[in-house]
Amino acid sequence: MERKIKVKVEDLCKSFGDLKVLEDCNFHIYDGEFVCVVGPTGCGKTTFLNMLSNLLEPTSGRVLIDGEKASPQKHNLSFIFQEPSAFPWLTVEKNIAYGLRAKNKDEGYIKEQTDRIIDLMGLEKYRKAYPGELSTSAEQKIVIGRAFAMDPDLLLMDEPYGQMDVKTRFYLQDEVIRIWKEYQKTVVFITHNIEEAVYLAERVLILTNKPARVKEDVPIHLPHPRDINDPEFVRIRNYITEQIKWW
Amino acid sequence: MKKIRNITRRDVFLAVLPVLSILMAIGLWLLVSSGEDHIIPTPGEVYERAVRLFEKPINHVSLWGHIWASVKRVLIGLFFACVTGIPFGLLIGWNKTCRSVLKPLFDLIRPIPALAWIPLMTLWFGIGETSKIALIYMGTLRPVLVNTYAGVSMTPQINIDVARVFGASQFQVVKDIVMPSTLSAILAGIKTALGTGWIVVLAAEMISANTGLGFMIIRGSNVADLALVIFAMLIIGIVGALLSAVLTFLERKLCPWKTVIN
Repeated sequence: MERKIKVKVEDLCKSFGDLKVLEDCNFHIYDGEFVCVVGPTGCGKTTFLNMLSNLLEPTSGRVLIDGEKASPQKHNLSFIFQEPSAFPWLTVEKNIAYGLRAKNKDEGYIKEQTDRIIDLMGLEKYRKAYPGELSTSAEQKIVIGRAFAMDPDLLLMDEPYGQMDVKTRFYLQDEVIRIWKEYQKTVVFITHNIEEAVYLAERVLILTNKPARVKEDVPIHLPHPRDINDPEFVRIRNYITEQIKWW
Repeated sequence: MKKIRNITRRDVFLAVLPVLSILMAIGLWLLVSSGEDHIIPTPGEVYERAVRLFEKPINHVSLWGHIWASVKRVLIGLFFACVTGIPFGLLIGWNKTCRSVLKPLFDLIRPIPALAWIPLMTLWFGIGETSKIALIYMGTLRPVLVNTYAGVSMTPQINIDVARVFGASQFQVVKDIVMPSTLSAILAGIKTALGTGWIVVLAAEMISANTGLGFMIIRGSNVADLALVIFAMLIIGIVGALLSAVLTFLERKLCPWKTVIN
């Protein structure tokens, strides 16, 4: 069956003065697809994501969601940053409901959606707690929950597990896959960890060195949960590593 | 997953220390006042003077009347400082154009001590209540405004970015992100302002007043009634500490997330 294109990126360029960070990026993402973006360190991955989220204006080119120019006002966008980004002054449930309130959604819908996410993320015990009372992994779960609660057209994740220990990272990787399968949202996940990309993604976009372009698009057809020792997993991981090492 | 902290012996020890320090101060007072040169009244003499004050009020105003006169002046001045200082601080903290226009002017006025305004205030508003409140306003505006401005400037960019990605309007960002993030700094500014207000009100009352704790000190000084001076000073300390405690309580109520983190 033909999959519907959710996000279309056309000739996207970004320069800061004379420094060209992105050049002629062209790609598309299907509805409900999980895409990971990898590339050499400092190649402009975060700039790439900041433009998809509209935090930065492109120098030229455009990002379309459902055929319309992407805009936080028009579309439901969610962003999970590398640093902890839960609001310290809001309780767990109010953090999760924040995006829906910002969009002036109906209170009944907000409650229903918040309860569902709290249940799904196993945060019921901490509903009334503040993020400062919880561990880093629990705080990141709040942020993931808040992002999915939006029922996002596009969920952007910028190395969200970059600062975590291996155990927490594995745990949250499985959590994000579980909640993504439940909601079937379109996700763009940036990481410098190739194993993580192969573990999560349905498709991996490899960026070139600066100015970044999409060098290759690698589909991964392995079922979730994936086995990191599976020969096919190892083959794909080595292939992507080679593609990045080429520079 | 939740961080739990047990009360340790050290916590109990730290809680007892403030009581000990007050007892030590009273002991030191007893020691100094029992000397032959009698440079300071003894605690007993101050107590007797306090009892007499209830029997024969100064200037026909009860002790509570004097306390309320001073507190009222501070609170009115502080109220106006908050009403103007917080929006002004938000404005120069958030809006770059406003900051460029207004901050240099404020930086110029900021180093001038509140007491330096006494001649101008007296000239403009006379020696009545208005000039005292205006003086307190000048003294309390600075900490409220500076803290609000600093709080806004320190709002984590990541929290603002999250709100923007969710499509929050400029007004929503200020209301939902900047305000709560700055609240603790604003309350700290109000606390500092309260201390400053207390200093200014006493100075203003010492210059010209018929009521207030500053007036009580000057009256005691004029008739060499050191016990009255010391008693008024003690009351000033107690009222100041009580007002500060009220603000701390308010901070706990308004910023519960700070309390749980601490």
